Amino acid sequence: MTSFAQAIKDKGFVVTAELDPPRGVDLGPLMELAGRVGQKVDALVVSDNQGANLRQAPWWAAHRLAETTPAEVILTLTCRDRNRLALAGDILAAAASGVDNLLLVSGDFVSLGDHPQAKPVYDLDSVQALMLARGLTQGQDLNGQELAGAPALCLGAVLAPEARPLAPQIVKLRKKRAAGAGFFITRPLSGPDALKTFLQEAGDPGAPLIAGVEAKGPEGVAAAAEMARAIRAAGLAQGLHLSASGAPETLASLVEACGR
Amino acid sequence: MIVAERKPFAEIAQAVAGYRRVLVVGCGTCVAVCLAGGEKEAGILAAQLDLAGQLAGRDQRFATACVERQCDREFLAELDAAAREHDALLSLACGAGVQFLAERHPTLPVLAGLNTTFIGVNQDVGVWDERCRACSDCLLSLTGGVCPVTMCPKGMVNGPCGGAVDGHCETDPERDCAWTVIHARLADSGRLANLEALVPPRDHSRANLPGRQTHAAYLRRYSSHD
Repeated sequence: MTSFAQAIKDKGFVVTAELDPPRGVDLGPLMELAGRVGQKVDALVVSDNQGANLRQAPWWAAHRLAETTPAEVILTLTCRDRNRLALAGDILAAAASGVDNLLLVSGDFVSLGDHPQAKPVYDLDSVQALMLARGLTQGQDLNGQELAGAPALCLGAVLAPEARPLAPQIVKLRKKRAAGAGFFITRPLSGPDALKTFLQEAGDPGAPLIAGVEAKGPEGVAAAAEMARAIRAAGLAQGLHLSASGAPETLASLVEACGR
Repeated sequence: MIVAERKPFAEIAQAVAGYRRVLVVGCGTCVAVCLAGGEKEAGILAAQLDLAGQLAGRDQRFATACVERQCDREFLAELDAAAREHDALLSLACGAGVQFLAERHPTLPVLAGLNTTFIGVNQDVGVWDERCRACSDCLLSLTGGVCPVTMCPKGMVNGPCGGAVDGHCETDPERDCAWTVIHARLADSGRLANLEALVPPRDHSRANLPGRQTHAAYLRRYSSHD
C-alpha cells in the first residue's frame, strides 16, 4: 500500500488542500503557500490546468513539494490534454520523481477555459485512465507490454455528488472503483445534505471518500469551515479536500480553520 | 447523410479571382439535400460570382454543371469534356467529392466551395443535426442508440463526466448530457445492465490512415465477368 492510502487508513480522517501551479515559471509563491499549509494537512493536491486554463505542468510542482513538505503529494492528471502515451509517460515520470499518488480525471472541457480553440484529447476517459494506471502498477502498459519496473501508485478519482441526474453518476462511481480507484475526492459541495443524499443513493463508495469544501473568497471561509465541521461531525466522509479557486490567502485561512 | 454548408461568399470570390473561365460543379446527392451544393445552389453561386466579377471589372465567366455524385467515377466522367473548356473547377461537393474531382483533373485547379460539417440527420425544415463521427467502432448497441462519441464533447464511453447539471452538458446549458439520455434510454428499454461493464480504451489506429472498405461478394461477382 502506498503512502496516501496508508495515511487515510492510519489517521481515519485526512485533510487535503488544493494548490494550483503558477501561470508562468515562478514556483516561489506556490512553495511559500505549501510551506504555510503543508504542516496542517495530510496531503497537497496539485491541480492540472484547472478549469482548462493554462498553468505550468503540475508534475514539477508535485516533485518539488514531494521533496520539501511533510505532507503527501497528489498529482492531478487530466485526460483532456494527454493521450494514453502521454498519460502513461507522465505517470511513470511522476513515480520516478517521488510522486506516487494520482488523481485521475477527465478534465473540464476546453471551451470552459482560456484556450477554447484547443483540440481536446480525451483519448481515454477517467475510468480508462484508472485502468491504465492500475496496469502500470502491475508492470504492464495498456497493450499488455511489459515495463522495466512497475510504479507503486495510489489512485484516486473524482466524484460529483451534485451532478444531476444522479443515477449515471453512481454507475460511474462503481466503474471507477472497479477500475482501481483507491480513494475519492468530491467536487466542491454545497453542504452536508448534498453528500448525505448522494451516499443514501450510492451506498458505500467502496473506498475512502474525501469531501470537497471550497471557500468562495475570504468572506466565504467561515461558511466553508462550518460546512467542513458539519460533514465531519455527521461522519459522512473520511476526509476534507480544501480549495479556494486559486486564492492563496483564502486557502491558508481555510486550512487554518479546518486543518490539523 | 453528409452535411455541408457553403463557404462565405468573399472566401469563394477570392479563391476564384485569378481564373477567367470557371465551372461551378454541383453535386446532386447529400449536399443537394442539405441545400448547400446541388444544381440550384450551383446556379445561384455562379450568378453571384458573375455579378461580383462584373462589378469588379474582371473578365470572368462562370458556367455550371451538376452531377449525381462527385464521389463516383461513373458520374465524374460526364464532366470530362466540359472541364477541359475551363481554367478552374469550383466544386460544391463534400470534401470527398472535391478530392475525387481534383484527382481526375490533376492539371486543373479544383477549388472547394463548401465546408463539410458532419454526418447527420434532417431534424426539421432546414435543420440538420450531427449524429455520427464515423469512428469505425460503433457502440450504439450498448448505449441505447445514442452515440457518446458524437454526442458527448469528451467522447466519454464509460458514463458521464461530473459536469452534468440538471441533465445538461457542462459545455452548453442548452445541450442534453449524452449520458443522461443514454441512461434514460437504457432504463426505458430495461437494459441498464449494459452500463456496468468497463468499456476498454477505444482503438484509434483506424483514424491514422484514410479508410478503405471492400465488399468481397461484390468484388467476386464483378471480377467473374472479366
